Amino acid sequence: MTGRSFQPKLSRRAVLTGCLALIAARPARATTEAMRDAIRHFTGSAEIKAGRVKMDIPPLVENGNSVPLAITVESPMEKDDFVQAIAVFNEKNPQPNIGIFHLSSRSGRAFVSTRIRLGDSQNITAIAQMSDGSFWSGSVELIVTLPACAEN
Amino acid sequence: MARILINLPKAKRGEIVEIRTLIQHPMETGYRPKGDGTSFPRDIIRNFVCELDQIEIFRADLFPAIAANPFIAFTVKAEEGGTMTFSWIDDLGMSQTETVDFIVE
Amino acid sequence: MTRASFSRRAVLRTGVVLSAAAALARPAIAQSAGHVVVIGGGFAGATCARELNRGGLNVTLVEPAATYTACPFSNGVLAGLRPLSRQQFTYDALKKEGLAVVAQRATRIDGQERRVSLSDGTTLGYDRLVLAPGIDLRYDALPGYTEDVAQIMPHAWKAGEQTSLLRGQLEAMPDGGTVIISVPANPYRCPPGPYERASLVAYYLKIQKPRAKLIVLDAKDSFSKQGLFQGAWKALYPNLEWVSMSSGGKVIEVDVRQRMLVTEFGRHKADVANVIPPQHAGEVAVLAGTADRTGWCPIDPVTFESRQQPGIHIIGDACIAGSMPKSAFSANAQAKVCAAAIINLLRGQAPQTPKLINTCYSLVAPDYGITVAGVYQPVNGVLTDVEGAGGVSPADGSASLRSLEASYADAWFRTITDEVFG
Repeated sequence: MTGRSFQPKLSRRAVLTGCLALIAARPARATTEAMRDAIRHFTGSAEIKAGRVKMDIPPLVENGNSVPLAITVESPMEKDDFVQAIAVFNEKNPQPNIGIFHLSSRSGRAFVSTRIRLGDSQNITAIAQMSDGSFWSGSVELIVTLPACAEN
Repeated sequence: MARILINLPKAKRGEIVEIRTLIQHPMETGYRPKGDGTSFPRDIIRNFVCELDQIEIFRADLFPAIAANPFIAFTVKAEEGGTMTFSWIDDLGMSQTETVDFIVE
Repeated sequence: MTRASFSRRAVLRTGVVLSAAAALARPAIAQSAGHVVVIGGGFAGATCARELNRGGLNVTLVEPAATYTACPFSNGVLAGLRPLSRQQFTYDALKKEGLAVVAQRATRIDGQERRVSLSDGTTLGYDRLVLAPGIDLRYDALPGYTEDVAQIMPHAWKAGEQTSLLRGQLEAMPDGGTVIISVPANPYRCPPGPYERASLVAYYLKIQKPRAKLIVLDAKDSFSKQGLFQGAWKALYPNLEWVSMSSGGKVIEVDVRQRMLVTEFGRHKADVANVIPPQHAGEVAVLAGTADRTGWCPIDPVTFESRQQPGIHIIGDACIAGSMPKSAFSANAQAKVCAAAIINLLRGQAPQTPKLINTCYSLVAPDYGITVAGVYQPVNGVLTDVEGAGGVSPADGSASLRSLEASYADAWFRTITDEVFG
């Protein structure tokens, strides 16, 4: 894992004002704890099991303004066994929530794709709520670099 | 009215198709500084709903971390054709709706 | 246009001071201080090999091709503004300086034993290894786009045969045809390159095929020097249409049989399709275990030494250089910093913290140049934009300024290729 070698807090913030103004200037960033609280709000006291959730996101992005994210969950998606909802959370944006997607047995597949904003290199977590009330999770780490030449 | 893009393919019965949607919207986060100590006020699409003949088949709650011009793709299993309705609702409760025929052969 | 307010002087100055990085320590040191192998003979590799050789080290440059075809200005070849031969350089001058140039491919790199195996079965030992492999195209990233399809829908993102192929297709296309350029998401080699290409292809069409249409399908909503490019397009090229990602421009599949580019929201038929696919660090970097899961190589920005494999340095397009764009100018600057650091390291001295410069020149028309420049330094282990340095050409620049910048671009190419290969 190379994420550790990137500790871009200061530099990032300096450049943010220019490149990523949309998500800059955070009085209080979401933190790992804030993300944990937001997840708790979604799951209640239920146990969260790791697995079944696959996240597809580029590991290195140069522009955090629009990062493609696709999530698939292993599920038969039948009347009595389907994914009800997929919630996505981040660690370092001003708010820990990204989106909550409500599916049904009509969905056919447990799949959703969107584009998100990320102000920094961080972990993204998705939690799937199954129709039997169980929760499953997946996480992914990505690196956000900020190119000078890429946007003007 | 914001520009909307929808890709709803024709389907064979029993087939699972991917539906892609996009609405042009700034998704102003509420955190972007104006430069005078204040921020541009928040203005985002908060909800997205897709219905087939008035029955909800997909819904999303969106937060400021969704990129501008929100793109949402999801799937549906084609059983019966019908009228598919797509609605985007913003912070003020204003909604914009688009209707497309879902053709199942 | 976040940086438009920076002074023109700063930009012009960087345009003239081509190699501030060269002012870094280049100590004359004793012979036999160490053996350095450099793999890859592009702007990064050839520059680094020469600097190390001049610094008194024993250097071997490994590069299978006898001729190097430079990417900068190759868009001019597509537009018929210059022959491909003006992009091509040999290693004769390097050999004359006493540099060993080995025309082999590296097949294996043993970072433990510090040894490189070559395609002829021989091996080279090293004290330090420099990798400058550039990019390779990801044929797994865009469904339907394979190496074979690239013979029909060229990428032309590595200059040479592909450039000639695309040029030939543009020439053969009847007037009234549609040219489509598909542009990937970041990161990729030369951020403004696709837009310069669109400009010069539009220039060619305007003169030779005025009824033809050019569509740029983009996987992004914003790009390098966007305001300048779009301003110029509006004035010069009414037949050029740029489709942003949020207008449905992101290509997600290629249908070669129907010459069709499939986007998230539609299908576009092309008479000539130029598909620039996503990219990753050149194969050698992967072979050496220096590329991480991003497909690119994390490095220490002071020495350009790999974060994953000690003793191996990665320069140019293959490395993760923070805010620094993947350009020939960057590659050249990084090569000098890396060479100076290696010389210091082999002498047991601490490397100096560098400042690096990049300028991206783009031609919008033969006599219409625009630039973006930046200065970079390591901050917390990442190459970071120095605030207030650099800038872009003014939005309201006069025709004579655009023409002057076009001549600077030409001068830059002649200077850098002369420095690296001449």
